[in-house]
Amino acid sequence: MKSHTIIFRRLLAFAMSVLLCAGLLLLLLSGCAGQDTRPVCTCTVSISCQTALDNFDRCKEEKQALLPENGWILQPTEVTCHEGDSAFDVLAQVCREQKIQLESSWTPLYDSAYIEGINNLYEFDVGQGSGWMYQVNGRFPNCACSDYTVQSEDVLCWVYTCDYGEDVGGSAAGD
Amino acid sequence: MPEQAAFSACHPAVIFLYFTLVLLFSMFLMHPVCLLISLFCAVCCLSVLTRGHGLWRSVAWVLPVVAVTALINPLFNHAGITVLCYLPHGNALTGESLVYGLAAGIMLAAVLVWFQCCSRVLRSDQFVYLFGRVIPALSLVLSMALRLIPRFRAQLKAVSEAQQGLGRDVFKGTLRQRLRTAVTVFSVTLTWALENAIETAQSMKSRGYGLPGRTSFSIYRFTRRDRMALAWLLMGGFYVFCASLSGALEFTYYPTLQGAAITPFTVSVYLVYLAVSLTPVFFHWKEAGQWRCLNCAG
Repeated sequence: MKSHTIIFRRLLAFAMSVLLCAGLLLLLLSGCAGQDTRPVCTCTVSISCQTALDNFDRCKEEKQALLPENGWILQPTEVTCHEGDSAFDVLAQVCREQKIQLESSWTPLYDSAYIEGINNLYEFDVGQGSGWMYQVNGRFPNCACSDYTVQSEDVLCWVYTCDYGEDVGGSAAGD
Repeated sequence: MPEQAAFSACHPAVIFLYFTLVLLFSMFLMHPVCLLISLFCAVCCLSVLTRGHGLWRSVAWVLPVVAVTALINPLFNHAGITVLCYLPHGNALTGESLVYGLAAGIMLAAVLVWFQCCSRVLRSDQFVYLFGRVIPALSLVLSMALRLIPRFRAQLKAVSEAQQGLGRDVFKGTLRQRLRTAVTVFSVTLTWALENAIETAQSMKSRGYGLPGRTSFSIYRFTRRDRMALAWLLMGGFYVFCASLSGALEFTYYPTLQGAAITPFTVSVYLVYLAVSLTPVFFHWKEAGQWRCLNCAG
């Protein structure tokens, strides 16, 4: 055997195994979830993209086919959640149960979650001021959805805005 | 058969244009058919250029690249309507992201194989011949960078053999000893590489490289065959380029997999792309045919 080939082959194998191990570790670390024993409560969740339909012509072409005709991605639905769950946890749970696509990102600086897209409707898909906001009992809480702890009988609405919240009544200035 | 591959005998401008075209097309045409054409042609060309020697070894290592890319993409990309399952932190694992990962992996693999072909055909003196006047410093640096890995490997082999002669074998002794020897070999080679780069640069400078009015010897002649090849590459490349501008090679992976419908026009574009990418193989066949003819006559 030629020695230089073997050195190279070993270096390559080593690099590959490091990569694979790192990937597996990442999966395992994120996969450690135990059984929940907290008391349960119920709340109502809905997901609406009515404003995207109102601004259909501004919507990205490849996303237009995805918008439901009546504007509801999820009609108001009764959900069983656990006490101490955040609004984000409830959304993630509902999406998992109803097989709705969801993408969120975690910002370590604020230690909070940000909803990038639901049902493949993403932020900025209908103009510069578009994205997802959430309402609790008709009001827009002034905190991230992962920081809001759900109370029993809360009504949670995720709404899509195309104008920084103005068109759904939740602009930055108002409540 | 002659030692050199037929395509290597072309004028450097033709070779350079060919590799620029295939690399740009591989990188920017993300249509699955184009990606498969690109990978297939890259492997074909490499087999022609290496004459089949060690082909498997130079191609096999791109398979893990494809696999790792296909697996990593779904971890960071969650768009797509086919939800397969959910990752623990609430993000969806979608079929589209897996497919896109696979496509990106094939693209990466194709580009890597194309670069292997390129390093076998485009010699550094040809590169300096093409760009030595226009961008002297950059072309020298590029030609040295492109040659670095092959020369580094050759030198690594020489140094490790010399160390073996001294009784320091990388494959004998305890792990500690072997590690020590490997580090020595690597350090010697690295030092050589740095020194060699400085020496090359100084040598070129002392010969007036890049000064105005300096002439240099070259044996490249632009023959009729080169004119034909250049025209063919320009025409084929232009056709594929225009087709991609017109959206015939459009393919979106998110949120749903959908591409331009397959029409006679798109099929013609695929065929032209295939033919352009296989240019070195055609050269090889033509030359092999001539060689057989000559042998029969003799």
